[in-house]
Amino acid sequence: MRLEREDPPDPSHLLFLTELARDARNQLTEPTAAELGEKWAAVSTLIAAQKTRRRTIVRLSVAGALAVAVALAWGLPRFGHLPERATAQAPLNYQIEGGTVVEGGYLRESGSDAIKLQFTEGTQFMLLSGTRARLRTITSEGARIAIEHGTASFKVTPRGGARWQVDVGPFLVTVKGTVFTVSWDAIRERFDLRLRRGAVSVNGPVSTGEISVKAGQRLVVNLPKKETVITEEDDADGRGLDGAPSDEPADEPALRPETASLRGSMSLPNRASGRSHTSGNGPKMANAKSGVGQGWAEAVAAGQWDRVLAEVDHAGVKQTLARASSEELLALADASRYRQRTGLARAALLAERSRFPGSQSALDAAFLLGRLAESRQGEMRQAADWYDTYLAGAPAGTYASEALGRKMMATRHLRGAAAAESLATEYLRRFPAGPYAGAAHALLLRP
Amino acid sequence: MGTRSSHIQLALVAPSLRDDLSDADLARALVSGATWAYAETWNRFAPVVFNMAVSTLGSASEAEDIVQEVFSRLARKAKTLRQPESLGSFIRSFAIRVMKWELRRRRVQKWLTFEPAETLVDMVAVSLDVESRDMLRRFYGLLSQLGVRERLAYALRHIESMTLEETAVAMDISVSTVKRLQDRAADKLLEGIETNIELAGLLLRKRGRHEA
Repeated sequence: MRLEREDPPDPSHLLFLTELARDARNQLTEPTAAELGEKWAAVSTLIAAQKTRRRTIVRLSVAGALAVAVALAWGLPRFGHLPERATAQAPLNYQIEGGTVVEGGYLRESGSDAIKLQFTEGTQFMLLSGTRARLRTITSEGARIAIEHGTASFKVTPRGGARWQVDVGPFLVTVKGTVFTVSWDAIRERFDLRLRRGAVSVNGPVSTGEISVKAGQRLVVNLPKKETVITEEDDADGRGLDGAPSDEPADEPALRPETASLRGSMSLPNRASGRSHTSGNGPKMANAKSGVGQGWAEAVAAGQWDRVLAEVDHAGVKQTLARASSEELLALADASRYRQRTGLARAALLAERSRFPGSQSALDAAFLLGRLAESRQGEMRQAADWYDTYLAGAPAGTYASEALGRKMMATRHLRGAAAAESLATEYLRRFPAGPYAGAAHALLLRP
Repeated sequence: MGTRSSHIQLALVAPSLRDDLSDADLARALVSGATWAYAETWNRFAPVVFNMAVSTLGSASEAEDIVQEVFSRLARKAKTLRQPESLGSFIRSFAIRVMKWELRRRRVQKWLTFEPAETLVDMVAVSLDVESRDMLRRFYGLLSQLGVRERLAYALRHIESMTLEETAVAMDISVSTVKRLQDRAADKLLEGIETNIELAGLLLRKRGRHEA
């Protein structure tokens, strides 16, 4: 509908809109060297996956040519008319519950429940509450979804030609028919995949190239520690997505509050982070009396964060912070962060530091407080202070490279590149091949 | 739970910076298939491609997808680079081709599904008021109705602020064709603004306040 006006079109309107677009584009900040490095990890993963796919196609082509030759030799014409030529197929349809797909494919929760996607051919995705994810593409063969932070479960229906891919932080999980849960902690740069059934391949910023994971295995990659751990789990088919995706893990009697003390006496392996099972100098929590806290590290490792948080809410936050053991406080901090309860995560980490001063866990808590502060608007200075605290207490600790790198980036953000130069020099001297070496070089080589 | 652990040492793929290297040397390394050259090319040119894509598409997230697509395809096409000293132009032209392909794909998809294409403007870091965002969304909606070459020519010239010559090289067309495309695009956009009653109203209100 044209506006009722006799004047010719006003070119200044177009000029105004063009300037608006130019201003908006100019306001976008240039990516930092570290951000470029992070994104490059994802692209290099894609390139590696393409190479693998091309090699497979070449092999299949050779095999296919041989098969055709054999078929011709057997007299293919005897089979009568050839099947009709396949037509281009439409992308799969899907239904979404608990959320909507908004601009850019982002999946937005409509409540506190998990988002569930059900595809027409039977495949199901479920994103746990608080997970940030994007539906990137949907084809007739499958879909590609990106998990930016949080946990998602998948039940992929096996069928010929299916193609499902999951970007998980800098990792790419290529799926056939399978049931698995995957999570990415963007703050701690920790990838965790538990495979119930089937097989998947994982590409990522690892020197070993593609990693194949089989049913019953769990793959944990800790990027700051540069460590990959693959474990066999004999309860692979026993929980979670065995049937339909579900965010309610099957009840495990040992994890129920009333029977928690039984679990406490079992000799279970510690959580994947490898923290000491008995770290800390402070008093141990009387679990049998309070009924909370037992097995939290295992519960968090199994993705049962809501269970941990429900127990804390039931027992009372103050009481828990005052009585929980060092390991339990760290597990609580993890569960809170995964569920976006950053206030509770911070309180748990501060309690760790005040109740277990001088312990390694208290130092780890300082580093995690730094990462937590960085994720909150306007707390970059506090983040730098926490990294200082960690580095002062653990100059050669597990997170030393990460803490120094993050401190360098925080200093550049707060005080400019010149102020961060000495930290860049120190970083390169101590960690010449560390994950922030590229950023440190960029700081020192700037004009 | 039975546990068997295996520890594998990782090597993070962090792009190293080689500022002393010329584009031509980098291009030769790229053609020879040196792994580090891909990372360095990404370091140098990913922001350039990102900016071009944001200007053309108006969406940071879509621009990121384009950048990823460009560099993953570049890994396959690098060997077709004939003039190492023109690495920058090669990548810009390559990015334009990818964007053309993407824009054409959208037009076909829109035509096949009979659904209007959504206009995504999500420059999240930008501090714009609600009205300006709305105007921007509608403006990119008008841009999406242009022909692919008209859209690219207008966006590269007037939003990305490339010169006529740079636009011509990037789009692999003559300067006179760029002029013709951008003029045609401007005419269509003006027509679109005039016939879009909501946008015209927004503009009058916004500019009226601005000028008052």
